[in-house]
Amino acid sequence: MSRIALLAALIYFIILAGVGTLNGAMVALALPLVLYLLAGLWRGPEEMRLTAERTISAERIAPGDSVTVDLKITNHGEALEQVLLHDPLPAFLKVIQGASSRLVDLPAHGSLSWSYTLQGRRGSHYFSEINAIAEDHLGLIVKRALLPTSGQLLVLPSISRVRHIAIQPRQTRVYSGVIPAHQGGMGIEFFGLREYQMGDSPHHINWRVSARQDGVIYSNEYEQERVADVGIVLDGRRRVNDFSGGRSIFEDSVLAAVAVSSSLLAEGNRVGLFIYGKRNKWTSPGYGKYQRERIMQDLALAETGETQNFKSLIIPRRLFPPNSQIILISPLGGGELNLLSQLRTRGFQLMVISPDPVSFEARALGDSPSVKLAARIARLQREVLLRELRHAGVQVVNWDVALPFEQAVRASLSRPPAFLRAIQRGRGAGQR
Amino acid sequence: MVEFDAVVEAALTGFALVFSIIISTGSLAWGYGSMGLETVPRWMIAFGALWLVSQWRGVKWFSAPGLFLSLLFATIGLWLSFPIGWMFSGAIFALFAWDITELRKKSHFMTARDDVKGLERRHIARVSFLALGGLLSASLLMLWWRQWTNEWGNFLLGVSLLGITQIIAWINK
Repeated sequence: MSRIALLAALIYFIILAGVGTLNGAMVALALPLVLYLLAGLWRGPEEMRLTAERTISAERIAPGDSVTVDLKITNHGEALEQVLLHDPLPAFLKVIQGASSRLVDLPAHGSLSWSYTLQGRRGSHYFSEINAIAEDHLGLIVKRALLPTSGQLLVLPSISRVRHIAIQPRQTRVYSGVIPAHQGGMGIEFFGLREYQMGDSPHHINWRVSARQDGVIYSNEYEQERVADVGIVLDGRRRVNDFSGGRSIFEDSVLAAVAVSSSLLAEGNRVGLFIYGKRNKWTSPGYGKYQRERIMQDLALAETGETQNFKSLIIPRRLFPPNSQIILISPLGGGELNLLSQLRTRGFQLMVISPDPVSFEARALGDSPSVKLAARIARLQREVLLRELRHAGVQVVNWDVALPFEQAVRASLSRPPAFLRAIQRGRGAGQR
Repeated sequence: MVEFDAVVEAALTGFALVFSIIISTGSLAWGYGSMGLETVPRWMIAFGALWLVSQWRGVKWFSAPGLFLSLLFATIGLWLSFPIGWMFSGAIFALFAWDITELRKKSHFMTARDDVKGLERRHIARVSFLALGGLLSASLLMLWWRQWTNEWGNFLLGVSLLGITQIIAWINK
C-alpha cells in the first residue's frame, strides 16, 4: 500500500467515525493528517527529464577481478530534490566499493557523476537502465522513470589449462593436427610398411626389411595426425549438480568444459558445445580463437536447470557426423547409461569426465560414522556405474574436485610421449 | 575516480524517531490512565516498547501498523471523551514517527559525500512545523472545551524546549 493511499484511508476513517458519532473533536483529529497530505501535494516532484551515461572499466573480467562503473546523470529539466537513483544489479555481482543506489538533489540543467566498484562470480549482465524515483518532500507523491543506458559485463569462467587431451575418434577431418588418424602417410609414429614408391624419401626406406626381400624395397609408413570433430556436452541438470545448503558441483563441470574446449581448440580441432541445463544451448562447431570466445561466452551464461534426463538429447548429424568424438562432462546421477550406449551404437567415440559428487558431498557433510557409511554406499554405486560405462566402451575420467583439474586428468587424458608408448607396446608384446 | 565511504547512518533521525514513538504511546497511555484505566495504558506502553524494538531491529514496516493503531486508540479515546490534547498528541507523534521511518529508509541510499544532515534537518523542520500546528489546534480545542490541565501545559513546555534545544544545536553547528 502506498503512503498516500494509507494516509487517505486513515483520513476517511477518522472523518467517517467523527461524523458517525457526531464528535467534532474526532473530526478535528483528521486535521493534522490533512495538513500533512496537503503539504505533500503542495510541492510534488517536477517532471523528470533525465539522461544517463555509463562507462565500464572492463567488459570482460575473470571471477574475483574488480570493475569500476562510472555513471553520469544529467537533468534537462527543473531542479529535483530527493531523487533516488538505483542501478539494478543481478545477484552474482557484488558492490565492493561505493554504492549502486543514491539519493540526491539534482539542480536544474545540472549533472551528477558517481562511480562504484563491482566484483562478481561467473555470469553476464546487460546494464540496460537506471531506475529514477522522485518524491515530494514528504514522500507521498512518487514519480518513476527508467533511464536507458548501455553496457555489458561478462564474468568469464575460471580457466584451468590442460596441455593435451588424448582422444581417438574413429573419424578425423582432412586437416593435419595431432590426433592419430589410423591411416598411413606423413606423421611421426610408425604405422606400417609398404613397397617403395617413387618420391619416397630415402630416410623412410626400411633397409633391414628390404635386405631380407629379393629385389623389393620397403618404406616405413607413418600414422597421419589430423584434427577431429569434438562435441562437448555439459550436463547442467539441477538434480545431479546441486546439493543441500546451496552447494553446487556445476562450477567444477564448467571449469572442466573450459579446460577441455581450450585444449582441443588450441590443437586445431573443430569443437562444439551443448549445454544441457536451464536453457539447452548449442554452440555450433568451429575452429580457433573465435570459437573459444563463443564457447567462453556461452559457458559464462550456463546455469543449472530442472531438466530431468537425457532423453531429449539429439546430436545433429550435420554438426557431428557419426564416428566423431563426444565428451560428456557430468557428475553422473543415473540415467546416462542408456543414452551413452545409444551414442556408442551410432558410432560416436565417447569420453565422460565426471566431477565426483560423492567426495564433494561427503567433504561438506563432515566425518560422522553415518556420513562415512552413506558415502561408502554411494561410492560403490558410482563405481558400478563407472564400470558399466567402461564396459560399454566409454572412456571415463573420475575427477575428485579437491584436486586441480589438470593434475586429475593428466594421467587419464594426456598422451604419453612416443618412446613411452613404444616401451608399453613392447611390454605388451613380450607378455603375449 | 570518485571515492565513497560507507553509507551513513542517520543519527539525528534516530533520535527524533525514538522520541516521537515514546511521546506518541506515552501520551495515549497518559490520556487513558488519567481516566482511571490501568490495564490499557500498560498495553500501550508495551506496544510502544515493541515499536521501538522493531525500529531498532530494522523492521521498517512496523511504523505503518503503529500509525494505524495509534490513530485507532486516539479515535476511541475521543469517542469516550478522554482528554483531547493527549489523544491529539498520540496521533500527531505517531504520524511523525511514521514519517521519520520513511526518511531513514531513504537516507540509507545516501553516501558520506551527500548532505545527509542537511536533508534530515530540512525534513524534520518541515514535519515539526506540521506537528506544532497540530499541537496548537489541540491546545485551542482543549481551551474551547475547558480541558486545559497543568500536565498538558507542562507537556507543551517540554516539547517546545526539546524543539528549541534542537534548533539552537543546529544553529551552533
